[in-house]
Amino acid sequence: MEKVIGLITCNYSTKESSPLTESRPAASLPYFGRYRMVDFALSNLVNCGIRTVGMVMPYNYRSIIDHVGSGKDWDLDRKNGGLFILPGSAFGTSRTGARFLLRDLIHNKAYFTRSTSDAVIFSTANFVFNVDLNKVYDAHKASGADVTVLTKTAPEKDPDVTAFDVEDGRVQGVHHGATFGESMFLDCFVIGRQLLLDMFDWYAATDYLDLFEAMAGDFGRVNVRTYDYDGYVAPVFSKRAFYRANMDLLNPRVTAELFPEERSIKTKTHDTPPAKFEVGSRVINSAVSSGDRIYGSVSDSILGRNVIVEAGATVRNSIVMQGCVVKSGARVENAIVDRANVVPAGTELRGTPEDVLIKEKAHE
Amino acid sequence: MSKKECIAMLLAGGQGSRLGALTSNVAKPAVSFGGKFRIIDFALSNCANSGITTVGVLTQYRPYLLHSYIGTGEAWNLDERGGGVAILPPFATQTGGAWYEGTADAVTQNLGYIETNDPEYVLILSGDQLYRMDYDDMLEAHKRNNADLTIAVMPVPWEEASRFGILTAGEDGRITKFTEKPKKPDSNLASMGIYIFSADVLINSLKEDALDQTSDHDFGGNIIPKLLEEGKRLFTYEFNGFWRDVGTISSYHETSMDLLGPNPAFDIFSTTFPIMSNASTRPPAFVGKDGSVDDCLVANGCQIYGTAKHSILSTDAYVGERATVVDSVLLPGAKVKDGAHVVRAILGENSVVEENVSVGSVDQTKDTAVIGNDVVVGKGEN
Repeated sequence: MEKVIGLITCNYSTKESSPLTESRPAASLPYFGRYRMVDFALSNLVNCGIRTVGMVMPYNYRSIIDHVGSGKDWDLDRKNGGLFILPGSAFGTSRTGARFLLRDLIHNKAYFTRSTSDAVIFSTANFVFNVDLNKVYDAHKASGADVTVLTKTAPEKDPDVTAFDVEDGRVQGVHHGATFGESMFLDCFVIGRQLLLDMFDWYAATDYLDLFEAMAGDFGRVNVRTYDYDGYVAPVFSKRAFYRANMDLLNPRVTAELFPEERSIKTKTHDTPPAKFEVGSRVINSAVSSGDRIYGSVSDSILGRNVIVEAGATVRNSIVMQGCVVKSGARVENAIVDRANVVPAGTELRGTPEDVLIKEKAHE
Repeated sequence: MSKKECIAMLLAGGQGSRLGALTSNVAKPAVSFGGKFRIIDFALSNCANSGITTVGVLTQYRPYLLHSYIGTGEAWNLDERGGGVAILPPFATQTGGAWYEGTADAVTQNLGYIETNDPEYVLILSGDQLYRMDYDDMLEAHKRNNADLTIAVMPVPWEEASRFGILTAGEDGRITKFTEKPKKPDSNLASMGIYIFSADVLINSLKEDALDQTSDHDFGGNIIPKLLEEGKRLFTYEFNGFWRDVGTISSYHETSMDLLGPNPAFDIFSTTFPIMSNASTRPPAFVGKDGSVDDCLVANGCQIYGTAKHSILSTDAYVGERATVVDSVLLPGAKVKDGAHVVRAILGENSVVEENVSVGSVDQTKDTAVIGNDVVVGKGEN
């Protein structure tokens, strides 16, 4: 896809503030042991052959830059094209809910004008799915649409996603929050590059809006069509959704669908040795990352890299992130333990399945 | 170590024929080890961790996997301008070309590479040994001794000394004698095949050796004895850490097992001197509801629905329901299907043990079972 460039927006915050996203942008939220949320957006773009990707940064971009670096792990360290780090506007002045804030795009107009591509594929960093974007792009060209949005029939109510009113595959309206059966927007769309530049002029006066909010009065003029995706999708805009999207991966069918070798999800690589399951350890129905050392008991849980579970310690129904140590005799249950925490010997971190406990990131 | 003070020549062309099925389609340095590594990772990581950034890798036997694995060397931070990794296979000139005939000959044929880099010292390494060593310490010793050649040595049990190339040295470490597999050893210092030469000494002795029709062009057999004879300053550098040359199936298996247990002889978890590798990006390992894993190293991408005990499960290895894997090494992508049993075995990359099939035996008097890369073992075949 030499004629297509990508753009990932990271400059938005989730409505629900939790300790997980207070310390970092949603894009760099650790996911399934070794990944970060943004890996899906990046890998989906790269896996369809795109080698030019811009990322609009939030003000607290440190962890994103730390993760993506030069883009090498996604083959985005190119002589031509490659990874472009683009500044986002400061918070406070903008509405935080906007995922494709016009101002952020217009401020980075040069990224689009300097390109000779035909089209741009946009994405945010808060959805988990592995889609072949070549198919979406082919459908976009075949239908002659101005914009093709990736959607899925909402399997349940979700107040945090965007939904479209659709008639015969054509978008008639847009609103926030999806109810069961509506066309849920997967925050991923294809648009002609020239049309996008035109829109920058059309909507310049309302640059505080989300691109689709600005477009809302124009669905008669702009042909926006849906591409319905029926594979696994997890929108991750809340603590509960984050917990569930992780736990979904304890189902090998979901993992196989999300991590096929032919369309692998790429991430920053580290030189950590394989996980060591020590003598006497007991691990069932769990995902274990490299560098982990397990002496104790782990069930129905996901461990990030370099986690130590000492003898006599128990981890159940939990997500334990990179670099944590669960000391001897400690219990972690229905909890999300953010990076670098030490759970002291004999202590408990316990939530309920309905309300998981979050232990915020330890000060480093 | 400054940039071109010392360069390394890494000998990676050997077939490793005693590794049998494991090297039937890859060179020995490219054989997988320790779950996520390949054998050459250890030498390359030692170079990177020692600050040596110019490394010539001499390849010959079945080089495709090795070449693609090394790539630009970036996985070991060896993708540097004006240095980094150079892959050096045999090549032709106006007067023809030749295969590498022995360790010294391989380096001789690449004297041009050494001269282009114009280093003061040249480190000669094997790409098929497992150990962690700071070559910078060895270089310091070489300089301190004002040596022409420094040879890394390791004390071995006296009763085993007759299996090695043994160096006899004075109290100051100066070598007085080199004996290949002595019947009556007078020293227990075994050569590890790791050499630091002062570059001019190396270049001169290789040029002389190349003209000698009777020479086998081997460092141990020809170059070192000749330098001793000439009265050059040869010194030992004693190393006391973990070091293995996994030359045979049984030593490969034994060394793999050395990584297991509560206090493994070789700690691959060290963060100060990390072993780097060009690993693929795979999801975390998964243990199923009825899975059981005890005393195992498990790499990313593994799926375990059965039982694994005292084993190494490399990237993307698979253990099916009711299957058991004991005292074994599953190389990347090896698949043990439902109900199969694998004991004291090494399963090659992407090999498959079909459902309910047994491989290997607990009987210690029998050889370790080996299944070659990509081989499928069905019923009645083993």
